[in-house]
Amino acid sequence: MHKTYSSSSLGPGGLDLSQAFFRPIHNTAPPSPTNRHTKISVIGAGNVGMAIAQTVLTQDLVDEIALVDAKPEKLRGEMLDLQHAAAFLPRTTILASSSDYAVTSGSDLVVVTAGARQIPGESRLNLLQRNVALFRSIIPQLAKHSPNAILMIVSNPVDILTYVAWKISGFPANRVIGSGTNLDSSRFRFLLADHLEVNAQDVQAYVVGEHGDGSVALWSSISVGGVPILSFLERQQIPYEEEMLESIRRTVVEGAYEVISLKGYTSWAIGYSVASLARTLLRDQRRIHPVTVLAKGFYGIDGGDVFLSLPAQLGRGGVVGVTNVHLTDEELRRLRASAETLLELQSQLGL
Amino acid sequence: MHKAPSASSLGPGGLDLSQAFFKPIQNTAPPSPTKRHTKIAVVGVGNVGMAIAQTILTQDLADELALIDAKPDKLRGEMLDLQHAAAFLPRTKISASVDYALAAGSDLCIVTAGARQIPGESRLNLLQRNVALFRAIVPALARHAPESILLIVSNPVDVLTYVAWKLSGFPSNRVVGSGTNLDSSRFRFLIADHLDVNAQDVQAYIVGEHGDSSVALWSSISVGGVPVLSFLEKQQIAYEKKTLEEIHKEVVDCAYEVISLKGYTSWAIGYSVANLARALLRDQRSIHPVSVLARGFFGIEGGDVFLSLPAQLGRGGVLGVTNVHLTEEEAARLRDSARTILEVQGQLDLGI
Repeated sequence: MHKTYSSSSLGPGGLDLSQAFFRPIHNTAPPSPTNRHTKISVIGAGNVGMAIAQTVLTQDLVDEIALVDAKPEKLRGEMLDLQHAAAFLPRTTILASSSDYAVTSGSDLVVVTAGARQIPGESRLNLLQRNVALFRSIIPQLAKHSPNAILMIVSNPVDILTYVAWKISGFPANRVIGSGTNLDSSRFRFLLADHLEVNAQDVQAYVVGEHGDGSVALWSSISVGGVPILSFLERQQIPYEEEMLESIRRTVVEGAYEVISLKGYTSWAIGYSVASLARTLLRDQRRIHPVTVLAKGFYGIDGGDVFLSLPAQLGRGGVVGVTNVHLTDEELRRLRASAETLLELQSQLGL
Repeated sequence: MHKAPSASSLGPGGLDLSQAFFKPIQNTAPPSPTKRHTKIAVVGVGNVGMAIAQTILTQDLADELALIDAKPDKLRGEMLDLQHAAAFLPRTKISASVDYALAAGSDLCIVTAGARQIPGESRLNLLQRNVALFRAIVPALARHAPESILLIVSNPVDVLTYVAWKLSGFPSNRVVGSGTNLDSSRFRFLIADHLDVNAQDVQAYIVGEHGDSSVALWSSISVGGVPVLSFLEKQQIAYEKKTLEEIHKEVVDCAYEVISLKGYTSWAIGYSVANLARALLRDQRSIHPVSVLARGFFGIEGGDVFLSLPAQLGRGGVLGVTNVHLTEEEAARLRDSARTILEVQGQLDLGI
């Protein structure tokens, strides 16, 4: 069992009580092989990575958390800051290393947040070149140490980087997922729910496609408490214009940029979003989330291997399926345009 | 009911579905007066305040969370970042303002506002800066939320809890400082990690000043009900006082270590304060080492001083102080701690 560095003796030059305090039970059989020990690794201990790690910890989703970051002091500080809360949490092993990826070995889920943060005004696509180089050094090590893990990519631009992670890792496509538009959809649902003063969990609404400016709001399948919105508007004879719907979608896309311009970065919402995905995956919840998956073959997307967000059913095996949502011609057109934009960029990467 | 600014119509020039979507039920009686709506105000949306707010939200401890700070952009950004997680959380109303009127009706007001400890700076050095700040904050909170419990986190927490008590005019059972709740968790973590046991099975209090003169109550530490020191004696495991002091010092240094490594502490204090919030708001009647008015306990008589004692907390605030047995040495150190704090308090021109 792993101990933190200082605990082999209690205090400097200290007391060793560990042999005496508990009478061991001898000749115990090894733990049952059905013993379920869940481990998550979070790569990148910045604002996003730590919000994810801390939310996973608070929600008691795993038995072990491993943190990796290039900055050893920052990393150690973050690890200690979580460990110090031991009296207030269920017992979770918290490890960290800035130099040895072996700390991630045996992970069930590896969450990659490493990468440069979007500068206010910078589009997600501008980050790309910097992050591809980083992934070339990170992904092979993660794949080596946890060959059976599910890889969850959060770093932006998430759709392309999920593709990059898939290529570099050699993992099957069902085990490489991007956080995608899971959070955009939450922002969308928040806007609708706040307007209607209803619980956001009663609002079914997906934003799909590219996580970014080219995302697609699936207006035709939005429902509240089971009532489809657009057909409701028509029956109630409430007029609406395409332009209005489009400006609501833009408000969702701008949600992230607004937070970044106000507080410098986003952290809490993406933390909750990824923890929600972690729970669905690790607890085999078989729920549908709009996340970045290999989209080739769905909705007429055939131009090449492209990852973008679709409403996907997730479980312990990763991506279990993609929901066969009905799209209008316009929604299909936008989704395919989203795919083309991404494919174009990908082709410039030389992978 | 409060709505986010953009929500009266959905989007710019937008759709207003709110009248049509739900058929209202007519002539409903007003809500039952026994309806329990819990509201927490967090003053200060820095790393500590936000870690506390977010943990409270994740742990579903309140129906309403109000964020207050002097910086409107940062404040709005933090509020939005929490609101955007609506699909992943139970519905909680989250609001933010630079105006203390937002705290109205709060059950608990948590104050984290204040300058952050610079690496190497002792907690007492922050004091003068923070007293001035409290003169602007505390009377406003007391005015808008006269029934609330005040929970002070800003450092140096013991003196500032005293200052908050004086400035608010609240009865002392409703003014509490986060004190050594976290130091005790760090202490329990060290012991638990060494013994490979769950930290919740380690009973161990650090009391007194949250800082260099804190007191580790070695004589009452137990693990799974087994008192540690008498265990060592029975097992004839030799230990030196010096060793115990070094362990205690390691606990005190923990905070400084985290600050020097990541620049500040946030997560642990977030969990610590959320834990106190739960005990208070859910009337848990659990015992926590927190900063309370200590005069009259354990021979502390030199004046009105707040420091951490094992206190029973519930909906009425501080319900009592545990009559833990202290050795003469521990009692003496506790009184020294009290004197240290009183001395510093004496140098303050509180103008109260």
